Amino acid sequence: MSTCLEKKEATSDSNLIMSLQAGSLDALGLLYDRHRGLVFRTAIAITGDAEAAADLLHDVFLRLHRFASHVDPKRPLEPWLYRMTTNLSYTWVKRRQRWLRPLEDVADWLVGTHKDTPAYQAEMDDSWRQVQQAVSSLPLSHRGVVVLYYVNDLSLQEISEILDIPVGTVKSRLHYGRQALKQSLGLMAGEILPDLQYEFT
Amino acid sequence: MDKKTDALLSKMLKNWVNKQSPPDNGRARLLWEAAQASRSKFDLSALRLFPQHKAFSSSYSNDWPQTLFTWINENSFQLRIQARLS
Repeated sequence: MSTCLEKKEATSDSNLIMSLQAGSLDALGLLYDRHRGLVFRTAIAITGDAEAAADLLHDVFLRLHRFASHVDPKRPLEPWLYRMTTNLSYTWVKRRQRWLRPLEDVADWLVGTHKDTPAYQAEMDDSWRQVQQAVSSLPLSHRGVVVLYYVNDLSLQEISEILDIPVGTVKSRLHYGRQALKQSLGLMAGEILPDLQYEFT
Repeated sequence: MDKKTDALLSKMLKNWVNKQSPPDNGRARLLWEAAQASRSKFDLSALRLFPQHKAFSSSYSNDWPQTLFTWINENSFQLRIQARLS
């Protein structure tokens, strides 16, 4: 029993960060195995793009390696990972909106009706696409809050600390995000989900 | 009422996100790049620990642009050799 506890202690995030600070790549691998799901989920939910999420996952852990000396081993690692992931995802979305989107539109126009092909349709089934479009249509600041709340099950307080915004702002963004999602996903009609009555502080 | 909506939205978003998974080769790629970064960091530190260049002399501070120019000229050759050797 004590051996098990010792082993658990040795592989705690705190100890792994200290090992990483000492230059251990094994520690980086273990931290990657442990937290890659969290980072990938957050990145894909904000960007809506699996390839981008894979690249962001890579970038986040490379930064963890590069800036390990700035990470406090006494504090939990998750908030650092969430903060880094949302910031990098925001940057990716902004860059894409500015540069890549118009280029992609031109490419689609040149290639023709790529998005009407059966292969593309099979890849993106209806329900998947609906949810992705609903989330992508949210303003970026609302999207971050919605993703951290619904996908990662974080509390309002935790989101406030990660995004460095007041709890009231988190609540209001969540409220508008929820309303927009309900509308986009067709959840407004029906008696199961009547209009929301959200209390503001 | 928020609870019902929240539970439904949470389930929908999680199902959507869980349809994709991280790439299988992600760990190997990460560790390879981190190892490369560590190696280049080590090389630079070696350069700093064993400098084969002359120290910048503060005694020439009155004519610092000329002194700096001379210092760069004298040491750039040494640094290039050091970089090639490492």
